[in-house]
Order: sequence, then C-alpha cells, then structure tokens
Amino acid sequence: MHEMDLNRFERLVAAYGATPSRWPDEERAAAQAFARADPRAAALLAEADSIDTLLFAHRVAEPSRTLRAMVIEGAPRKRRLAGRARLWWTGLGIALAGASGMLAGSAATAALEPITANVLMYGHEDVPALDYSAEENAL
Amino acid sequence: MNADDPDGDLVRRVGEGDVQAAEALVARKLPRMTALAHRLLGDRAEAEDVVQELFLRVWKSASSWRPGAAKFDTWMHRVAFNLCTDRLRKRREVALPETWDAPDPQPLADARITAEQQSDAVGRALASLAPRQREAIVLTYYQELPNREAAALMGIGVDALESLLARGRRALKARLEEADA
Repeated sequence: MHEMDLNRFERLVAAYGATPSRWPDEERAAAQAFARADPRAAALLAEADSIDTLLFAHRVAEPSRTLRAMVIEGAPRKRRLAGRARLWWTGLGIALAGASGMLAGSAATAALEPITANVLMYGHEDVPALDYSAEENAL
Repeated sequence: MNADDPDGDLVRRVGEGDVQAAEALVARKLPRMTALAHRLLGDRAEAEDVVQELFLRVWKSASSWRPGAAKFDTWMHRVAFNLCTDRLRKRREVALPETWDAPDPQPLADARITAEQQSDAVGRALASLAPRQREAIVLTYYQELPNREAAALMGIGVDALESLLARGRRALKARLEEADA
C-alpha cells in the first residue's frame, strides 16, 4: 500500500488513467481525496484523460456468425449420452423380445410334443442368458 | 461450484452437455476473448484461430472444472494469453519484414476523421508498442482485469505492471503524435 501524495498520485494516473473506477480498490478513496484537495491533480488528470480517450477510440469487430457457429459446434452435448441410452434400451428390448419368443416357442413345442418339451426344459444351455453387464460396461 | 464465480453454474451445465449453456457461455465470452486475442496479436484471422483453440479447451475441461483459487474467466484469460504469447514468440523466431511494427503515418487530427480511422490509428499504435507494454494495456484497459490479476497473468508484480502501463501509455500517445505530425 502506497502513501497517497503527489508522487504516488502522478504514478497512479500515469498507469491507470483518469477514471477512478480503474484505480486499485485499496487506493481509490485516498486518490480521490487527493484529487479534490490538491490543485496540481487537475492537470495530471487532464493529461491522463487525453490518453484514455485515445485508448478507448480503439474498436475491434464483433466475432462473426461463422466463428460463433464453429465454436459452438465443438461443445459437449447431452445427445451423445441420450444416444447411448437409447442403444442400451434398444438392446434390452431386443434381448427381451428374443427371450419371450423363445419361451413362447418352448411352450408351443411343449404343448405339441410334451416329451421333447421336458428335454428342452433342461436343454437351454445354448440360449444366452440376459446378461446386461456387457452393455452397462459399454456405457 | 464456487458461488463467487459468476460463470460457475454455466460451466457446470456445459460439462453436463447442456448445449444452451454452451451457447450462453459463447455469447458471454466469445466477444471478450476475440477482442483480447485480436488486440494482442493485431490480426483478426489469427485471433479467430486462437479463440477456436481456446474453446476446444473449454469444452474439454468443462466437465472436470473445479473452482480453485482462480475464477473461470481468469482461467480463460490465462489460456488465451498463453496461446497468444506462444504465437507472438513464434513470429519473433521467423524473420519479419522491417516495417512489420512501424506505425502507418496516417493523419489522426483531421477534424473530419472518422471513428473508424481513429480506431485504426490507435490499433496501429498499439501494435507498435513493445509487446509487454501492449499486454499490460490490453489486460488492464480493454479486458478490465484488476491490477493483481493482470500482473499475475504476465508473471510480474503490480509495481512492474504499473511501470509498463505508464510507459505504454506515453509511447502510445507519442506514436499517435508522430503519425499526426
């Protein structure tokens, strides 16, 4: 923290310009008090203000719509997660449909050929179990 | 998320894949970051390359962003600033035309001068400043960073920042007066 005197005030406005809002928070009040109290401050502020005016004459163009679109295109999207979830549910649906089809087929077979059906009740080792762990792992 | 960080909630939502949040973040930051890069590099096309790279990093980091000592805006400034200074360093490594940073001696004080011409003249004067002076002025005046934040970005102390600002402002005025003579 600097003591506010003519030397510090001169350095402060030479660096930060004439607008108090740009002065460091911790020195603003003291610098404003100095500006009100010391008649030499006015000339320093006027000089700084002329440079501020030059600086703020500089304008840069707004970003183009193309740039904005290109930037947004790369943003992460929920849709990817939703897509994966849809795949998961689709996979589950297919598996359940397949399983129910097999059960229905088994029942029909049992009705038509009870002896074979008894064999089939114990003969489903070749039917893949409904194992979701692989799909879960894939998420 | 840091309650003191005005961008914190938006960044969290971006990280969750909320496209509307991403659009809002772009609307909030793109003009500011483009202006920073444009003024540091003095070249619009290069500035656009930098902001694209910057936002790629934002998108990658959003989901893992955790508030620390720095706000998100400060982090973005740091990344953009480093991307720009890398490019400026590479520029200095290749031979530049002798007139690369010479101010264009166009008259400034003409009473009929347009705002656009005046802006161009100040832009040329800014481009002709020593790089560290230009960086200090751009961060403090145009980006409106607090002095400690600007100094930290530049890796210097506040006293050194003030010295660069004062010399930069004097040099800028002198360049414009020379051009006007």
